[in-house]
Amino acid sequence: MIDDELKVSTRQRDGVWIIDLEGDVTTFAEDAITSAYEEVTREGAKYIVMNSRQSDYINSAGIAILIGVVTEVNRQGQKLAISGLSAHFQKIFRMVGLAQYADIYASEDEAVSAMKQLAAQSQEESASA
Amino acid sequence: MSDSPPPTGDEGRVIELHLPSRLGYEKVAMDTASAMAKRMGFATDRVDSLRTAVSEAVTNAIEHGNQHDAAMKVVVIFTGSEEGLTIDVADQGRKRLDAAAIDRLPDIHQVIHSDNDDKGGWGIWLIKELMDEVQFSVAPTGGNQLRMVIHLDR
Repeated sequence: MIDDELKVSTRQRDGVWIIDLEGDVTTFAEDAITSAYEEVTREGAKYIVMNSRQSDYINSAGIAILIGVVTEVNRQGQKLAISGLSAHFQKIFRMVGLAQYADIYASEDEAVSAMKQLAAQSQEESASA
Repeated sequence: MSDSPPPTGDEGRVIELHLPSRLGYEKVAMDTASAMAKRMGFATDRVDSLRTAVSEAVTNAIEHGNQHDAAMKVVVIFTGSEEGLTIDVADQGRKRLDAAAIDRLPDIHQVIHSDNDDKGGWGIWLIKELMDEVQFSVAPTGGNQLRMVIHLDR
């Protein structure tokens, strides 16, 4: 009960990389989240969705880990969206200001289609440039 | 555990937890808080805010106040009244919480654009944002004490 571990896995959907988080996002999640992000980055991910599945406990240490990922996403010129958060954690992420760096969507489907749209826009821009 | 006594009320609505200073045990306090708040009739979003505030306060006591020394206890007292729920969190004060930490206003832009790898420090700010009243004090024995109150809207 006390040491619920976070399960982190990665997959690709329509050219968008998805990092699934299942369980508590606390200080114990740091290695798992950071290595999943590094893994998709090595695979060349430009558009990433951090998808929370049944994470009903995200604390300030977990938020700090996600801010670390956002920092790196910014440096690498990637785009990050966050999906699957409960209404409470959507509110917390907005309060903290994370929503200014990563768009927040209720569902994975919405996040993926928004990311696909961004990818298409960026392709059009580079084609017309 | 504080200068001012907890609100008087029904004796049956006081719950006291003594938790070892080991991360993970904050979840026991968090679940106790939400069980109590639900029984008292708090709305779901208020219960969620309370869960976050309690987990942050207890985590802070474990990590900071008691420096992860599992032999040191974090005492959490929940007192329900007609007006709301008061939660007192006390550690044994291996490290004193300084005023700068209490008043800190974290800024996401600064944090993201800084080279400092430590992106934390949101806990106390969140507690103050989410609760209706928050007070910090120091026990005569040197422990940090935090009292937070969430009001029942009637």
